[in-house]
This record gives sequence, C-alpha cells and structure tokens, in this order.
Amino acid sequence: MSWAQAILLARGLSRGWGGICSTALTGAPFSQVPPQAPRGLHCSAATHNPDSSLVPRPPEPPRRPVKALAVHEELFRPALDGARNKANFVRAVQNFAEYNVHKRGHVDFIYLALRKMREYGVERDLSVYNLLLDVFPKEVFRPRNIFHSIFLHYPRQQECGIAVLEQMENHGVMPNKETEFLLLQIFGRKSYPMLKLVRMKLWFTRFKNINPFPVPRDLPQDPVDLASLALRHMEPDLSARVTTYQMPLPKDSPDAMDPTETHIVGIQSPEQQSALARHDPARPIFVEGPFSLWLRDKCVYYHILRADLLPPEEREVEEIPEEWNLYYPMQLDLAYGRSSWDDYEFNIDEVEEGPVFAICVAGAHDQATLAKWIQGLQETNPALARIPVVFRLSGSSGELLASSDLEEPPPPPPEGQEEEDTQQRQQQGQS
Amino acid sequence: MALVHKLLNGTCILRKCPKPRVASCPFWGTRFADYCSSSFQKPVAAPGKASSQRKTKGSLEERHQREVALEITSPEDKPEISFDKAIKEEMKDHFRRLKDDIVKYWIGPEGRPLHEVLMEQAKVVWQFRSKEDLDKWTVTSDKAIGGRSEVFLKMGKNNQSALLYGTLSSEAPQDGESGRSGYCAMVSKIPRGPFEMKRSYDWSQFNTLYLRVRGDGRPWMVNIREDTDIIQRKDQMYSYFMFTRGGPYWQEVKIPFSKFFFSNQGRIRDAQYQLLLDKISSIGFTLADKVDGPFFLEIDFIGVFTDPAHTEEFAYENSPELNPRLFK
Repeated sequence: MSWAQAILLARGLSRGWGGICSTALTGAPFSQVPPQAPRGLHCSAATHNPDSSLVPRPPEPPRRPVKALAVHEELFRPALDGARNKANFVRAVQNFAEYNVHKRGHVDFIYLALRKMREYGVERDLSVYNLLLDVFPKEVFRPRNIFHSIFLHYPRQQECGIAVLEQMENHGVMPNKETEFLLLQIFGRKSYPMLKLVRMKLWFTRFKNINPFPVPRDLPQDPVDLASLALRHMEPDLSARVTTYQMPLPKDSPDAMDPTETHIVGIQSPEQQSALARHDPARPIFVEGPFSLWLRDKCVYYHILRADLLPPEEREVEEIPEEWNLYYPMQLDLAYGRSSWDDYEFNIDEVEEGPVFAICVAGAHDQATLAKWIQGLQETNPALARIPVVFRLSGSSGELLASSDLEEPPPPPPEGQEEEDTQQRQQQGQS
Repeated sequence: MALVHKLLNGTCILRKCPKPRVASCPFWGTRFADYCSSSFQKPVAAPGKASSQRKTKGSLEERHQREVALEITSPEDKPEISFDKAIKEEMKDHFRRLKDDIVKYWIGPEGRPLHEVLMEQAKVVWQFRSKEDLDKWTVTSDKAIGGRSEVFLKMGKNNQSALLYGTLSSEAPQDGESGRSGYCAMVSKIPRGPFEMKRSYDWSQFNTLYLRVRGDGRPWMVNIREDTDIIQRKDQMYSYFMFTRGGPYWQEVKIPFSKFFFSNQGRIRDAQYQLLLDKISSIGFTLADKVDGPFFLEIDFIGVFTDPAHTEEFAYENSPELNPRLFK
C-alpha cells in the first residue's frame, strides 16, 4: 500500500492504542470520542488537516453543529416509515454486515448500536443483544496457545463484549444459552466476557426474587389500572376494596380536558371503615398529600385520609374479658419468648401516628377533586357526613406535614384552604 | 476541630498519627507507630519541656500555651484568645471523656453491667429523636463526582423521625471518564472515643438488622463497613438491598446479617465471606436505582436483634467455576 495510506493506518492504530491504554487505566468503557493520540516521531509537526489529505475523499455530508456523526451512524438514520422500532434496528445491524464483508470497525459499530438501543426501545430485548453479539467475527479472538491466554488476547474486542453484557446487566436482561454459545464461539471459555456471563448467571439467579413487594415489569398504561395497582401495593390488608369514584373523560371528547374530571380511585379496608364509623365527630379528620409512590420508574401521587392521635387520657383502654374456659382460651399469645428472660422488644417508643382511614389516587391534586373523593366515600361511610374534613395539601414535595407543631410557617395555599374548610364544615354539618 | 489542627502541627504523644505512617509499619500496633514517628517531630523551639513525657493535665496545657505563643506570629488579638479557650475546652472535654471511659471500663462493656450486655437480645443502635442524632450521619451524593443529584437530611414530623429526601439525577458528569452516575447516600459516622480514637460496634450476639422506615417504593441498598484501620479495607463493604413498600404505613425491615454479600470497590467479588460482627464501623444507605426524580425515606430507628428462628450462617456459597483456588 502507498505511504499515504500507511501514515493514515499508523495514525488510526496509534489512536486505537491510546484508547486502550486510557481505558485500561481507568477501567471505564470506551469513550465516545477517541482522545488525541500523542503523535509519533515520524509524523510532521503540522496537524493532519482532512482537507489537505492526499487520498481523495467523497464530499462529506453537512455536519451537525453540536457533534460529529460517528462512524456508521448513517445506518441508523430513520427509515422510510420513520418509526424507531425493533425491525428497523435489526435491519440496521444486518446492513452493517452487508456493508462490509470483513466487518471492519465492528467494535465502534457495536458501541454505537448500544447507545442507540434506548432510542429504538429495544434495550430489554435479549434477541437483539444476541444479534449484536453475532456481529463479532467468530473463532478469530479465541486464544490458541499459552501466550494468547497469558496476555489479554484482543483486548478491545473483549472490552466491547463486556460492554454489551454490562448493558444487559443494567437493564436486567438475563442471558440465555444462545448468548453463552455465542460468547464461547467468539471469545473462548477463559475470556473475560465469558467470566462475566458466569457471574451474571450466578448473581441474577440469586437476586431474582428478593423483592418482598414485587412490581410487574410491564406497568399498565391506563391511569386507572396503574392507580389500582399502586393502591393494592400500598395497602397490606388483603380484604381492602378498590373503588373507582370517577373515570377520566375519553380523550376524543369535544371539550378540553377538564381538570376536575380526572380519575379518582380509592381504597379502604373493612377495619378502616369500622374505625371511621367509631370516630368521634368532634375531632376533625385530615386529607393529607400528595405523597409520591414509585413503581419501577413511574411515580404515582396519593392522598390519605387520617385522624390525629388521641391524647393518652382519651384513648379507650381495651378491656380483656376474663377467660371463662382455660381449655379453649379466647386469647392466645404465641410470642417468641420462651421464658421470662426472653425480651425481643426494643427499648424505644416507636413513632405513633394517627389511624389512616382511606387512601386515594387522583389525577389532579386540588381540593375539588379530593372533595369528590370524600363525597364518594360518604356512600360507604355515612358517619363521614358529620365529621369535619380539613384539607392539608402541601406543594409538590412529598414530605408529611407536621400535625401539631410546624417547623416552618405554613405556605399561603393551606391558609386559603382553611377558610374553605370552614365552609366545607358548614356544608358537611348541614348535609 | 481546632485541637486536631493544632496537634497535627505540634506534637502529642496521645494522638493517633495520620494514616501514611500507619501503613508504613503494618506489623506493629498503631500505638507503636504513634510513638516512633512522633518522636521525630518534636518542635525545636521547646526541646526541654517536650522531652519530658509527663502526662499531667497542667503541664500539657502549659506546653500548648507556649507552643501557641511561639507559633502564632500574626497579630490577631480577639480570635487568638478564643482560640486558646477553645483548645482548653476541648482538652478538658477529651480528658473528661477519657476518665468516663476508664470508669465505664470497670463497670462493664460500654458502661453497662456485663450481665445486661450478655442477656440483651434487642438493641437500638441509632435513633432519631433530636438534632444531635442527625449529627451522627453524613449525606453524600454524586455531586462529589460532578453529578446533579441532591440529597438533604432533616428531622421529620414532630421530631420523631429523620427524613432523607432529595432528587436523583442520572445524568452523567461530562468529565470524560464516567459513563453513569446518579447516587445518593447516607452514611453513619464512625464512633469515636476520647481523643478521636476510632471505636467500633460489637454486634456479635445479634444476628438481624432491624429498621423501621417509611419509604416511597424505591429500592435502597444497605452497606455495612467493618473496621477500617487496615488500608486495604478502605473500599470493602457488605451490602444488601432494602425494598421499601411506599404508602403511609411504617414498614419494618429485618435483614439477617447472613444475607450481606461482600463487595470491594463497588463490585461484587467472586470470593464471598461471611460478615463478621465484632468490629462494625459504620452503616450506610444508598439509592442508585437509575430512575430520575424526587425521593424520600423516613427512618424511625435502627436496631439489631437476635432472631431465634434464623439459623443460617451465610447465604452465598462460593462456586468452583468462579473460584477454583478455593476448592483445590
């Protein structure tokens, strides 16, 4: 090959080695832009200007002002139908193989494809990862003698393989037999990607079921379904009932989305119902919120209906009736303590808070929507009509407001709502 | 601290030396490292007094006063006097703590009678009932490496719990070497004895960690660090996951110590060992679940107890495929 081509190849190789050295030192995945390599002794002092190269190049496409197109990025240009889905991604990957029989630049292509996966929505698809691993040429990177296995054989390719597996790990995709066979064909049994696969198989299976409150991977898109899932997730009582107080208006209705017509879904268990029925009408109950609940990556805001703690003197003491038959006792205490010296109680008073009567998830966080929820609750809890309801709605932060002493002065909206509360109370008293 | 700054420059036999010297003599106890290296650092200005190693309170104070007079040359009147006073106060405080420590040692471990400590089955280690309890914790976020997450710690409702809240942002910092980012952590400070000596917790008779928390549904990671005097142990920790339920109800989280897996420098290691409970130095909570957005965690108290139904010693076996050397 001509000396001009030799210079270009040398520059490319030196840039590549610089990349490997830096990544080996820092241990980070290969960076997007290759660093400026220290120029060799034989290169001239002038910088390599692409305009003055000896090899004629095709006219470059107009560059975007922010960043330059990476190599092979034109393969990922949106297709004729413009949709970014799995089919187009697969087609782009397959085009690469046709573009270049010798698969030159496959490492850069794989890194680019890993970055593009999120746009195309295929980051959790195992078949796509297997297809990407298929881009590697087989049998070339396997160590064949002891010197290959002592020194890291084809380090850049091994790092690329590890990067593919690391992205799988980040998205929680479990590799399968096909992945294992592919890695075996490409890198051999003693390579780092293979080691990482073994580790993934071990630790993923160990940690698969450690979540005591599992949330399904595919969350429902419908807000009412999501709300009922969230409420069931929060409420430990299995006999609680989820009621939809208001369905959202369908999107294709002629009038615009009315803020008071969003969905309202509530949950209440029978115990909470009876507690509310027994609640003293002289004490107000509070609607607090909104608080945030995260389900995987979706945030749902909920409100609660709760009362303050009764002061100790007003708390009713439960009377334990005398046992009338020792063979069939009414109270059976099957605690841990086997003898009088067993004490598994912590020497601290736990935080006590007032009882919660109901929880709801609503589309809007304003008082009008929540008032509708209260009205809906009144159907199952007639006692609610006589109890004053105070709305304590905070801003967008998910902190619980202090009930008795507020550290910071309350912001204006709750004060405005306090006036409305008195009106509400009068209304409640009249109804 | 004013005293620490003073003593780092000057000499004090009772003070522990900074780490590099400890690392240089690994075979000796850290106390010996103190003595051998500090002897070379005596100030030239007061050789006579410094050579006599009298440990009485008065002489040490005099020596420090003289050092103060010799070392401070800039004319700043008012702050100087209070600086002196601050040093004196701290010295008195440290000596008081030393005296309490010696007295407590005669009563029993940590100042409680031995029978009480041995028969204890549930112990509250950290509680959040006042602002002083919050001072025992440090909060960090990925702002340290240039990220955008924020985290704050404050007392919660009615001063009855601690609220850790903030925003997580997984935007990677543009420093050319980090590919991912987005973490927030709350770590407890290492317990210190008199003269800032590092102490550790001894939980060898307990086998489960108990947390009473109220979260927002995000998964947290609980990390326990063992005694960090040896420099190789700086990045080692034992971790496990804590899944919060979310919702308005308080949640009790019980994690047996046998479930903690070993990790070094942030990566799970192939060789897994049991968490040994006799020298625990700190515990921490980390949130790094790659989801951007606000989060909060309310903690009531953290305790340890013995779960008699839990008999497992260690949950993770070593595999011969990953670690052939262990199985030879």
